[in-house]
Amino acid sequence: MPIGPGYYPRIVLAITALLAAGVVAADFFSRKEQPKPRQLNYGMVAAMFGVFGVYCGALPFLGFRIATLLYIAATNTMLDMPKGAKGWARVAAVSIITTVVVYYVFERYLTVLLPRGRWTDF
Amino acid sequence: MFELLGAGIVGMLHVKYMVPLFIGSLIGVVGGALPGITITMTVIVVLPFTFGLEPLQGLACMIGVYVGGETGGLITSCLLGIPGKPSAVATTFDGYPMASKGEPGRALWLGIWASILGGLLGAVVLVAATGPLAQLALEFGPWEYFSLFILALSMVAGLVESSLVKGLLSGALGCVVTILGNDPVMGQPRLTLGIEWLEGGVPFLPVLIGVFAFAQIMGEIEKSAKDSPEVLTQAVNLRVSHVKVLWEILSRPFLLLWASFIGLVIGVLPAIGGSAANMLAYDQAKKFSKHPEKFGTGVPEGIIASESSNNANVAGSLVTIMAFGIPGDAVTAVMLGALTIHGIQSGPLFISQNPVLAYGMFAAYILAHPLVLIMLFVGVRWVMKIVIVPKSILYPVVLVLCVVGAYALGNSMATVYVLLISGVLGYLMVKFGYPLAPFILGVILGDQIEINLVRSIMTDANPWLFLTRPISGVLLAASVASIAAALWQHRRMQRKLAADADGDADF
Repeated sequence: MPIGPGYYPRIVLAITALLAAGVVAADFFSRKEQPKPRQLNYGMVAAMFGVFGVYCGALPFLGFRIATLLYIAATNTMLDMPKGAKGWARVAAVSIITTVVVYYVFERYLTVLLPRGRWTDF
Repeated sequence: MFELLGAGIVGMLHVKYMVPLFIGSLIGVVGGALPGITITMTVIVVLPFTFGLEPLQGLACMIGVYVGGETGGLITSCLLGIPGKPSAVATTFDGYPMASKGEPGRALWLGIWASILGGLLGAVVLVAATGPLAQLALEFGPWEYFSLFILALSMVAGLVESSLVKGLLSGALGCVVTILGNDPVMGQPRLTLGIEWLEGGVPFLPVLIGVFAFAQIMGEIEKSAKDSPEVLTQAVNLRVSHVKVLWEILSRPFLLLWASFIGLVIGVLPAIGGSAANMLAYDQAKKFSKHPEKFGTGVPEGIIASESSNNANVAGSLVTIMAFGIPGDAVTAVMLGALTIHGIQSGPLFISQNPVLAYGMFAAYILAHPLVLIMLFVGVRWVMKIVIVPKSILYPVVLVLCVVGAYALGNSMATVYVLLISGVLGYLMVKFGYPLAPFILGVILGDQIEINLVRSIMTDANPWLFLTRPISGVLLAASVASIAAALWQHRRMQRKLAADADGDADF
């Protein structure tokens, strides 16, 4: 085999393919039945990934401050549904404080520039 | 060596370094104590804050997190019976019973003092062994490096609890990530899928952050996220005679030394980490004890073994990363990333090329211990108050900091997308029983494996050299042996499981 950019990828991919076949074979020959899966909250996991994906997608358009504020408010609401005015005050406080603190610490003190919004210019 | 260490300690005592070390230790203690937040996650959260700092300031901060986290984890383990982090699981076995029997102060401080002593014992080895090991590694040619990395990967893959094939596949997938984009030897783009940004290759830090943060957080969320740990309603009396507690530990020198030694060795072995160390040390303490049946009811030996080993484990991990440039676990992998960001080459040349930085790291490790001790003297109580912060607040904040960290790495959204993809991948891998440690090690070592493989074959086309060069041959033999040992271990465990299942039909 000639040494070139394709040399190592071929080896790695061949090994990966072999191991993947091994996993399939091991699964095929294993006799144990699957234990009953625990009741898990997969809906919430999917929703969290969804919101996070939207957040990542929205960052360059809304800018760090607006997107982060909305993201934290949304996830905090989803994870712990606020009850009454006090609950919503908590959501507002958590999202505003986090966004402001993170923004100031990074932009002002640590010279990390966070994304500005293409639509909002903020 | 001692001159350099002395200079390192004196240098570290400067406010410039003590402040990050202090803040790191404090965050580490809190992060370690918070159930559901691992030290890895804490160090990931801290990472973006270190970008703007000097390398040594950033590393001091991370070492603080590491030491503080290992110690902080025992607070929740002892007082709530919930391990604050995986490497404090064994501490709950005896720490919580002792605390519930009316001696919370004794349980807590036995753990804290054992942590500090174990950590400082580890420091001796860290300082004494890293240099010589790096010297040894300097003799390595590409063959030896290649074999060393293969050994690291096969050991990690073999040490996972689930199937060995899945562990190996996980490591191979990690290497697949590194073949994307860039050929590290010729610098030629490959497999870029037409994405211009991929020509530089996939950066490993966002992959690591995504994989670990999401696997952990989503794993907690699926179990329903609302519950925060039970708060101890009555004020606990943590008063205790420190002389007595210290004597309890020091009157068992063999236990302390052996547990620390186990922690160290496991730390030196790549990517296994503290969770294995504390279980193994606890098990050993039980085996050597004159009254093994009392373990689990609140005996001091259990706490001492578990806590001294997981702190010594930190020193072991630092040895591997500083001498060979191979991360001993996820925390040191993040440190490796931080070094790379600052353009510092890790590997056996690290100590000789950056003596100030290296001895500064030793100094930070040593000084973190008294700092953590003072912190806990003053504020154990407050840590218990912070632990009740609800996860519905913690998780979004942690994820936002992950995004900031990823974004700041390249000042581009591309790294954030890598984070997102890795997050989904990490969660799915855990769900389907693929261990994360070999994957990450593959991502970190993949390029190095390729470089050394190609370099050795270009130097001499004879492939047998990998086996006939003595060090390389021994390393490869060791990696075969580690896989064989893993197979044997799995066999035995499966037989045991099958026997258990026969006896207990309900299970």
